[in-house]
This record gives sequence, C-alpha cells and structure tokens, in this order.
Amino acid sequence: MEHGGNLVNRTIMLPASVDEAVEALAATPGAVPVAGATDLMEAVNAGRLRPAALIGLGRITELRGWRYEDGGTAVLGAGLTHARMDRPDFAALIPALADAARTAGPPQVRNVGTLGGNIATAAPAGDTLPVLAALEATATLARAGAVRDVPVSHLLTGLDPLRPGELLTWVRVPLLHAPQVFLKSSGRSGPARAAASVALVLDPARRGVRCAVGAVAPVPLRPLEAESWVAGCIDWDARGAEGAVLIDPAALVAFGEYVAGACVPEGGAHGEGAGADAARLRRTVAVLARRALGRALK
Amino acid sequence: MTSATELPAAAPADHETGTTGLGTSPLRTDALPKALGIYPYAADLWAEGLLWGAVLRSPHPHARIVSVNTAPALAIPGVHAVVTAADLPPGPDGTPDGAPAGTVTADRPVLAAGVVRHHGEPVAAVAADHPDTARLAAASILVEYEVLEPVTDPEAAFHAPPLHPDGNLLRHLPLRTGDPDAVGEIVVEGLYQVGRQDPAPIGAEAGLAVPRPDGGVELHLSSTDPHGDRDRTAACLGIDPDRVRLVVTGVPGASSDREDLSFQVTLALLALRTGRPVKMTLTRAESFQAHTTRHPALLRYRHHADAEGRLVKVEAQILLDGGAYADVSAEALASAVAFSVGPYTCPNVFVDAWAVRTNNPPAGRMRGEGALQTCFAYESQLDQIARQLGVDPVEIRRRNAMATGDPLPTGQAVTCPAPVAALLDALDGAPLPALPLDDPEADWLLPGGPGGAGDPAAVRRGIGYAVGMVHMLGAEGEDEVSTATVRVSGDHATVICAAVDSGQGFATLARQIVQSVLGVSEVYIAPVDSDQSAAGPSARGRHTWVSGGAVERAALMVRHQMLQPIAADFGMSVELLTINDGKITSYDGVLGMPVSEALEGRELWATAQCRPHPTEPLDPETGQGDAFVSIAFCAMRAVVDVDIELGAVRVVDVTVAQDVGRALNPRQIEDRIEGAVAQGVGLALLENLRTEGGVPVNASLTGYRLPTALDTPDVRIAALLEERDVVAPFGAKAVSAVPAVVAPAAVAAAVRAATGLPVGRLPILPEDATVLA
Ligand SMILES: Cc1cc2nc3c(=O)[nH]c(=O)nc-3n(C[C@H](O)[C@H](O)[C@H](O)COP(=O)(O)OP(=O)(O)OC[C@H]3O[C@@H](n4cnc5c(N)ncnc54)[C@H](O)[C@@H]3O)c2cc1C
Repeated sequence: MEHGGNLVNRTIMLPASVDEAVEALAATPGAVPVAGATDLMEAVNAGRLRPAALIGLGRITELRGWRYEDGGTAVLGAGLTHARMDRPDFAALIPALADAARTAGPPQVRNVGTLGGNIATAAPAGDTLPVLAALEATATLARAGAVRDVPVSHLLTGLDPLRPGELLTWVRVPLLHAPQVFLKSSGRSGPARAAASVALVLDPARRGVRCAVGAVAPVPLRPLEAESWVAGCIDWDARGAEGAVLIDPAALVAFGEYVAGACVPEGGAHGEGAGADAARLRRTVAVLARRALGRALK
Repeated sequence: MTSATELPAAAPADHETGTTGLGTSPLRTDALPKALGIYPYAADLWAEGLLWGAVLRSPHPHARIVSVNTAPALAIPGVHAVVTAADLPPGPDGTPDGAPAGTVTADRPVLAAGVVRHHGEPVAAVAADHPDTARLAAASILVEYEVLEPVTDPEAAFHAPPLHPDGNLLRHLPLRTGDPDAVGEIVVEGLYQVGRQDPAPIGAEAGLAVPRPDGGVELHLSSTDPHGDRDRTAACLGIDPDRVRLVVTGVPGASSDREDLSFQVTLALLALRTGRPVKMTLTRAESFQAHTTRHPALLRYRHHADAEGRLVKVEAQILLDGGAYADVSAEALASAVAFSVGPYTCPNVFVDAWAVRTNNPPAGRMRGEGALQTCFAYESQLDQIARQLGVDPVEIRRRNAMATGDPLPTGQAVTCPAPVAALLDALDGAPLPALPLDDPEADWLLPGGPGGAGDPAAVRRGIGYAVGMVHMLGAEGEDEVSTATVRVSGDHATVICAAVDSGQGFATLARQIVQSVLGVSEVYIAPVDSDQSAAGPSARGRHTWVSGGAVERAALMVRHQMLQPIAADFGMSVELLTINDGKITSYDGVLGMPVSEALEGRELWATAQCRPHPTEPLDPETGQGDAFVSIAFCAMRAVVDVDIELGAVRVVDVTVAQDVGRALNPRQIEDRIEGAVAQGVGLALLENLRTEGGVPVNASLTGYRLPTALDTPDVRIAALLEERDVVAPFGAKAVSAVPAVVAPAAVAAAVRAATGLPVGRLPILPEDATVLA
C-alpha cells in the first residue's frame, strides 16, 4: 500500500455535480478523473501513471443512474457500476450490456468498476465496448462551458478522442425491445479477460442485426456485410409465433464463418501471431457469433 | 492487539468441543486470527526508524555486466546505502563473486557478479527512507550490459557454451534394470510436456532486518527453513551463524520454499551497512521474478505391455529445465527417475534423465517436484495402453498395481504400505456427479463459467483416472532430524520446536500430539526462531514425521516423569497407568486422578529428537539404491465437462482416495487435499509462467491465471486409507504433495476421455481440447 500512500499528499477533489467536476478539471492542470479506480490504480501501482491530482466522481449521484429520452433512448450515467448494470431492472432494458457487465471481472471489481471507466480505458478486452458498438451508442462529453456528443466507436478508434479536461458524462443507447446477446470466451470458468467476445442485437423495427466482435483487435469490429446478409436470412414476420423457425441452421453456421472471416484476418489479427493462432481465433469467433445469433433467435 | 472478548466469535476451547488428541479435527490454531485479519504477516512488521529496501534486477536473461555505477542512486536525498556484489565477501580468487548460495548446490549469487543468468536476477540493492525513493534510486543505478544470446531451449543447453563455471548439466541420472531387449505385444509411445507452474504465494516476499549491537543481524521473515536460512545467510555475509538470528513471522502461504535467499541476504546486508532496521516488500511482479518455479519438463516414453496390458518394459527420456541455477534440481531428478514408472511393477526399466541449466527462470522446490511431471507421462501412457487393448482404465491400473514389498525400478523394496489396488477399489465404487442431460432445467455451470458462452449441445463429459506417488522426507542419504522440547507447568503445556507452520497445520498437529500423550488440554506452541534447536525445512511432508515424532517423544518422556511418582506410590509400573480425558487411571480402576492434580505445582520438561532410518544415493550408472524413507500414494477420478467447440474445460468433480497411514486430523487432511487438488487443477488447465526469449510475459496475477473458486471442482474424499506405516511416527504419511502430483494427470485423462484427443501437454489449452468438426 506504499504506492497508494503517496497519493495522500496530493489533491483529491470530490465534486458533487458534473458542473463542479468539469470546473475542477479545468482549474487543475494534470488532474485526472477517477471513478472505481480499478484500472487507474493498476496504472499507478505499476508506475505508469502519477496523477498530479485526482477528481473523484463517486459523489456525482446523477451519473450513477440512468434516465429515458424521447421514449426510445436510455441515457446511461458514466458512473453506473457493472454490478448495477447486472441487476434485473437494467437487464430487462439492455440485456447485452447487462450480460457484458456480469462477466467484467470478479464481484469486488464489478462493485466499483464503471461504464465510463471501461470506455475511457478503451482496453481491447473491455467487455462493454462491443455491446456499445453493436448498439451504436453515443457518448456525451462535457467540459467547462461546452458539451458535445460523439459516437462511442469514434471515441474508441481515436477518430474523435476524449480531450484533456473532458468528462464522459452520459452514454445514449437505443431501447430496441428485442433479444440481445453478449458472449465471451476466455478459456476458463472463473472471471477473466475475453480472448474474444461477440455482442449481437436484433433491431426488429429496422429489420436489422447488429454485431460487434471484441478483444480480437484494439477496438470492437463490426462485420457490416455479414450483418446485412444475415438480416435477409431471417424470417422477421414469424417472430413471436410459437415454435417458429426464424432462420435456417445452415445460415447460422455461415453467419459465424462470415463474421469470423471479416474480423480475424488470415495470418493473424492486426498482423500479429502465427497462422495457427489466427485460425484458432477465427474458429472461436465463428462459434461465438453462431451461438449468439442462435440464442437471439430462439 | 484485539482482546479475546472483542472477538466476534471466540474459538471454543478444544476440550469444550470434544476435539482433543489425535484422530480428531480441532480448529486450526491460526484459523481465527487469519479470518479476523489480525494474524501478523512479515509485510506488517515495523520498527522505529526503519529504512526501505529495493532491488535492481536484470532486464536481460543473459548478459555480461560491463560496469555498475551507483553514484546516481547515492546522490538522491534519502538514500542511505547502495550495495552490489562488491559489498559481499569476495570469492576464492579474491574478486567479487556475489557470494553464491543455494539449498543443495551453492551456485546462485546473492547479487549478480560479472554476469546475469536470468531475467530479474538481482544486481544491486538500495536502502532509503521511503519506499518510492528506494525504488527510484534502484532504477537510477547505471548498469552497462553486454547482452548475450540466452539459452532458453533446454535441449539446446547440452551443446551451448557453459552458462556457469559449473557447466550446463545439473545432473544426469540413468536407470537400468532388467533386460534391455525385452519386448511386449504392444508398444505405445508418447511425448509429454509440462509447463512452468509458479507457487504464486498469496503473500509476496517481505521481511525486516534489524542490526544487533554485537555486529550481527536479526531477520524477521516468513522463512520455512529458519536454521538453513540462517546458516546460508551467515555464510554469504561471511559472519558467524551465531550472529544471525532468524525470527519466523506468519507465513502467507507456502507450497514451495520461502523466502528466496538473495532477498534475505540483501536485506541483512542493507541493515548491517546502514546500522538501521530495513524493511523490504516485493511487488507482485518482483515476486514472480524472485522465487523459483516448478521444473518445466519434456518427457519421451515408450511402454511395452503384454496382451493383457501388463507392463513388460518402460523406456523413458526425461528432461527437466532447471533454469539458471541448480537449486534442488538434482533432487527433483531423483524422484522423476525413481517414480518414472509410477505405482506399477515392471521388470525392465531403462531411463535417462537430465536436469539442465538454461537462462530461463530458476526452478526449485514445489510439491512433488519431479514426481508430478512423470505422473502425467506414465498415466497418459497407461491410458494409451488401455485404449489400444480396449481395457477399462481402472482395470489396466489394477493389473499393474504395485503392492507392499514390491520393488521400485531403483531396486528399493517398498516396505511401507502400498495400497494401490485398494485405492483404485475405493474410487470405483464412488458415486458420479449428475449429468446436465439428467436435469437440463438446472442452472448448470457450463465450461466457460457463468455468463460465458457455454452451449449444452457442445458439452461432452469425460471421466479420467490417475494414480501417483511421492516420497516423503529428504532422499539419497540426506540427514533428516528434528528436535522438540515439551514443557508442562501447572495446567498447560508448551511445545518448543522450530518446525514452521507454513499453513500445513503443524502447530495444530503438535497440540493434538501433546493432548493425546499428556492429557493436558491447554497446549501453547512457541513462536519459532533460530535460537531453538533445528527442525529442518517445511517441505516433503517432513514435519508430520520428524517433528511430530520429536514432539511425541518429548511428550512421552514428560509423561514418564509425571507418572513415575504416582506409579511408585501405588506400587505399580508406569505402563499400567493410562491417560484418558485428562484423567490418569490405573489398569485396575483403583486410581482415577485428574492430570491437573498430578501436575499441581510441578514443572516438567524434556527434549527429544527424531531421526528416521538413513537412505543412500542412487547409483550414478544404474540408478539403483534405497534412496527413500517412505512413499505416499493417491488415486483420483476427475470428471470434466468440455465445450468441444471452444475447448473450454470445467472440472466438475475430483474424487480422491489417499493412502494416509493414519488420519491424525481428518479435517486438516481434507483441507490439504482440497488445496492440492486446486493447485493440480491450476497446473492442468491454467497456470503457466510463459517466457519469450527467457523473459516472463505474464508475471502478474492478471496474466498468470490461478484457479478461482469457479475453476476449482467439488473435491470428494472416497477414502482416507489408514494402513499404518510401522516405521513412521503414529504410522502417518504426509498428505499435501501427492494429490497435487496426481490431479493434473487425472484431469488430462478426463479431457482425453471427453474429446478423444491425445492431450500431451500441461496446461491443457483450449486448442488442445477443441474437436475440429
Ligand atoms: C481484477 C480485475 C479484473 C478486471 N476484469 C475485467 C473484465 O473482465 N472486463 C473488463 O472489461 N474490464 C475488467 N477490468 C477492468 C476495469 O474493472 C474496467 O475497465 C472498469 O470498467 C473500469 O472502471 P473504473 O470506474 O474502475 O475506472 P477507473 O479506474 O476509475 O478509471 C479508468 C480510466 O478512465 C478514466 N475515467 C473514468 N471515468 C471517467 C469519466 N467519467 N470521464 C472521463 N474519464 C474517466 C480515468 O481517468 C482513468 O483513466 C478488470 C479490472 C481488474 C482490477
């Protein structure tokens, strides 16, 4: 705990509102926001990060819950913990995000780790990230005197990154009222980072399937062609009918292969690893995508 | 310190719960303080005015040290001392050699001198007034390295230039017995690989050194071998052993040796240099670099069997990667060779085994070193024979099972109980866990875990069996001895014995022994330090035997002193008196005196030693010899579910039948078996400290996957077979190592049964358990 000890001498601010927080960020050069600290403290302990000041977000109650907008959108606070998202009321709204939150580490970590922290860290194996990509979520970024909305995928790819002094406040997610699945493979039964993950959501209103593959590349990947191809294979009108077969099993298998082929290039993800590793990863992604769609259409 | 009245649940005294003496299961002495968080670990130690130590480690697995410039570190305010190999006593030729030390062979420098042989090898150390200052200062030391090509492939070590003046071959041990030309009806061959398991103790290395006014030093460490560590530390520092005192603090888990010698000598050196107490705690990443790992192994086997599956001949080549330094590799190799066939009889055995030096992390002691690696190989071979002949895997083992009196391939007759067939019988009758198909509605924990991607349709169940063996106590002529003192004063007894309770429960056992022999319920176990008589290391199941034996003897002597006057009063011999439930009774029932009354106002004490029968080294040409004191056996059945599309494996159940000699504390035995199974399952499926070019790539608890509760199966005990070992104190055998030896082989057999795949390496990765459509 010696490492934590040296933080004590430094400034820690505990703003009670978003406004106070962004002001504090603007007023304190080198200040870093902290939520659950499950990623931040690891960086501090490893000596990668020595923040001059910390802005604790834990007291900003408004960011720890969610609200609704325009009837069709949920606005999620960046301070929602994984444990909170795993609860049944939330799971009924955005099932795939709840599934992802349920597997995002051991209970002690999920009790404090947050949605905002997961996005800001943008780790390749961040579990909420493929779900947010599949949902085409947007993030609200606030700084003193200015607010902007950015697609989460743009944040993650660095196309439009979080700027210094900016706070991630809200995440907008459409409410689709249809099955969603998040599947993760880690090679063990206990909590672990994903070796590969697949998020898949159905959007019956638009007769669409949206899918994102996590952990195989620095950011979640969307197999857009596979999505639109498979959307055409689904018998959307039969949805809800007792015993209806919504898709030909062969199409499920083909979808898995299609997704894997699109997201794990031959010879290795982003040029790394031997061909055998890539082949293995493709198989895993193919199985996950096939199972995800199968479950969504059950 | 919390007073007893503040404890949420004060532990009931043993006599209140009826749990005293041998064969019962009293609460462990350390259970409550550990659960309450008041158990003192080395990392909690504090001394007025202490300084903090930090170590600079080599970033290269192999390099020549051209120069070391400590000036930048010394220039940092708050730095009190910087030490390098030059601060240790020089070698025989008068130049610094880093004061090499080691448990068996003294080849490992405390601080690297001239050359570094593994990644993370300590090069220099700093004492400063703040831990951050110490780390920054260590990092500021300028070391110029000439990077050398590392030897990381153990097979290449034979022909590579010597990495050390002692050469690269740590030991070659051949074993030849029987007819080399014997042939069987069937021949099965296999190549097996075992990865690098790390002991990953829950508490990382920590300690405090306090300089003494006489120029000596007092070390507070979670040592598991206080006298050995004291002697080696003194030798490295070039001072008299009397001037080093080692005080054992709470051991936060040890399934291998603690602590690393370089750590404690460096700590002592810094304290002597600065004249101030120095504390050092390693980070998790450093801990992975500091302690030794299990020996990675490569094993090539050829078994000949007759048409019934009886072994005709076993040929094997075994290669252990010892890493940069010798440590206990020679000893590990001896058990690998002696147990190369397993608990089976075979007339013709031809083995060549080597332990070699590489620039990989040093390997050392870890539960069943040597025996574990071969168990995976010979059990895999037996499964192959069973499959080829279409014989049930339990039956094939029964046909070959060793019995009491049978010889090992080393020619030594197994005179201790060898109830291999009985262990297999116990497993055969054990109930199997339910199948998901039997109850599809239940919330099955599928491979991949809760919220994983498991799909019942892709899950296959497999059942596998394995039997294994491990020796107890030091082997090949090592002098084994322990000393204990038992003192009784009024209504309580004290045990003074330097056997460290590393979590194995020795303190609880010692208490039970004294309770049994003397009928005194209150038994205090004195803290351990090196001023007491030596008891030797906590390893190889020694303490149940040698220290338990010494405690028993001392207690028996005290008992004699206590009963003598009473017997004289009644005109009978001491042998006619018994102690039961705290009462002394005579054979005729005339006398019935509480022990407390007999002890009224008396203080009795006795010191005794226990030294088992001697052993001899294995012959360097033929591998023959009586090298072991005793052997423990264990049989296991593992049940796994495998998602054959993703290769995810979940161990559902492990059922154990173990040869324990005598169950001195059944609950403690079950705990030890559970822990060992968890460790074995970890090695089977998850644990592997991977290296690239000699550099560990997953030296953190995120990268190095330890089994969690969800990865650990239900462990059921089918039988604790109690066939007493007549030469062992109480007839008891050590219990912790053998389940860890057998579990990986059992899990591998089960995965093989589920997938039909060969499963030739540990850990079993998802790709090894994926069935390609
Ligand atoms: C043992 C362990 C296991 C884990 N397992 C998983 C896992 O399986 N899957 C997974 O996805 N993750 C896992 N994690 C990582 C971590 O728990 C998650 O990424 C978590 O969501 C981080 O949230 P936090 O609130 O703790 O972030 P913090 O550590 O507080 O912050 C992380 C980073 O985000 C920034 N930040 C936080 N909130 C905001 C905000 N509102 N606006 C701007 N910047 C912000 C911080 O400045 C910091 O740079 C694990 C972590 C640990 C320690």
